[in-house]
Amino acid sequence: MRKICLIVIASVLISFVASAAPDSAVIVVCYPGGSVNVKDANEAMGSMLRVVERIGQWQENSLNSLFSTKTEDCRKQMAEQKPKFAMISLGLYLELRSEYNLVPVVQPKIKGRTSERYRVVVQKDKYKSLDELKGKSLGGTVLAEPDFVGKIVFAGKYDPADFFVLKTSNQAIRVLRALEKGELDAVILNEQQFNGLASLHLEPPVEAVFTSEEIPLIGVAANSAGTTAAERERFGKALEGMCTDAEGKKLCELFGVEAFITVDAAVFEPMVKLWGR
Amino acid sequence: MHRARFIATLSMLLLLTNCAGLQRDHVQFDRLSDCPQQTSAILVAKQSQFSALSDSHTLTCALAVLRANQDPMLRRTSLGSRLCLYLAERESNPEKREKLAAEGVDFAEAAVAEGGGSDGEVHYYLAANLGLAVREHITVAVQNLGRLEDEMKQAAALSPDIDDGGPLRLLGALYLKAPAWPNGVGDSDKALALLKKAVAKHPGHPLNHLFYAQALWDEDEEANLAQVKVEFALGKKLLAKGNWGYSKAPWQKEFDEFQQELGDAGLIPRVIE
Repeated sequence: MRKICLIVIASVLISFVASAAPDSAVIVVCYPGGSVNVKDANEAMGSMLRVVERIGQWQENSLNSLFSTKTEDCRKQMAEQKPKFAMISLGLYLELRSEYNLVPVVQPKIKGRTSERYRVVVQKDKYKSLDELKGKSLGGTVLAEPDFVGKIVFAGKYDPADFFVLKTSNQAIRVLRALEKGELDAVILNEQQFNGLASLHLEPPVEAVFTSEEIPLIGVAANSAGTTAAERERFGKALEGMCTDAEGKKLCELFGVEAFITVDAAVFEPMVKLWGR
Repeated sequence: MHRARFIATLSMLLLLTNCAGLQRDHVQFDRLSDCPQQTSAILVAKQSQFSALSDSHTLTCALAVLRANQDPMLRRTSLGSRLCLYLAERESNPEKREKLAAEGVDFAEAAVAEGGGSDGEVHYYLAANLGLAVREHITVAVQNLGRLEDEMKQAAALSPDIDDGGPLRLLGALYLKAPAWPNGVGDSDKALALLKKAVAKHPGHPLNHLFYAQALWDEDEEANLAQVKVEFALGKKLLAKGNWGYSKAPWQKEFDEFQQELGDAGLIPRVIE
């Protein structure tokens, strides 16, 4: 699932009472850079998993989530839990795919697309290109994964840590306010953040000086050594059915997801190559 | 996901319609035959006496009068909504709690329709009841975020000081806990500013300190740690020493949950005892 999908369900003011069965399968959910209360997130994820369980005909509460917004915690949970399935960022997928035999299972489809672009924005007319930002400050939530930004978003052409002065934040709006005040020189945004800029009415307005290539959205990945093909297919089918299920449809609408679709693993091959350079 | 647009669309719809997905049938009460004879004039005269400290029978008797009363002078006040909130907050049955809170929303909406829209308390108790009515239902909760913000903002603008800074506290908590931009109305900076103001103006309310501690924690766990501990301890002390009636138990739970969160983050609980 696209990273941003997680924050919405995770940070709503709700408390779903759904205690996991003692032998429930843990699904590690990672949202690096997010400003989400972990307890709320785990509780909220339960609502989605209850639907998945029902569609996939698993016993209720047989799936349980373990949520984190910290990359290091995600690595630790992947190591300790060795989950059969994980909802992780593309950066973590690329980093951990070999170690845990990860294979993508489903991708979310959002506004007819299964990919997104990242942008670096600046105050309008202040800078003309990314090269002019050398040594300048760059903020953004996606900087929680600097390797992903360097290898995938910038396709290996810029090492963020060397090229910029990085100002990581878990609040996109906070770094945009800093950009507006001139306290930051540039901000890196994912597609959804970029599309939301108009609602902020920033003054002076901002413009993109860099737009990435299309980057595929990652959804659910499975440990291919810890799951059978039948298990992966069953989980994938359950998610595919989610957005047409009466209850699941509401959640899909909340996530902004039109559908979950079976992954063509070849889609991620260019990313794997970029990561391995 | 493109939640911002989704929320915005729903919020606009909600402003044009009623609150989405709320319970509409009322909780039935026992022992109403034991209630004293009360008129709308009596209720208006003693409305300030009803509080979270009032016993449930007293509140249900007053609510029963209000249910049967169409006096515009009474119905344009926040009293019905406030009574529902007091009863809902102490109700352990989730279905009954939601019905009471939804009824509180109805009372507040009726008050606005009767011309009570300039009363900040009406908006405050509408928002408080609405939050309570939807909090267990993710889709309904998200659908109502815009409405919640709107009502709380009106309450904060009109009557920021009622209920020990309740409008500031609630709006701050909403900004703190709701999905952040671009997914929702959540905004840590706004939360921090509102809750700081709530603590400064109304230092005697335990939740003002708790929510401010949470906002500080959210802003920067390490840099604000010392102040987080101070605010948490202050709030906890106020809760322990004050007479908060039926509110004490749910508030204690809020404190316990945050203490657990601090503990999970590596802070041993005793540092904030």
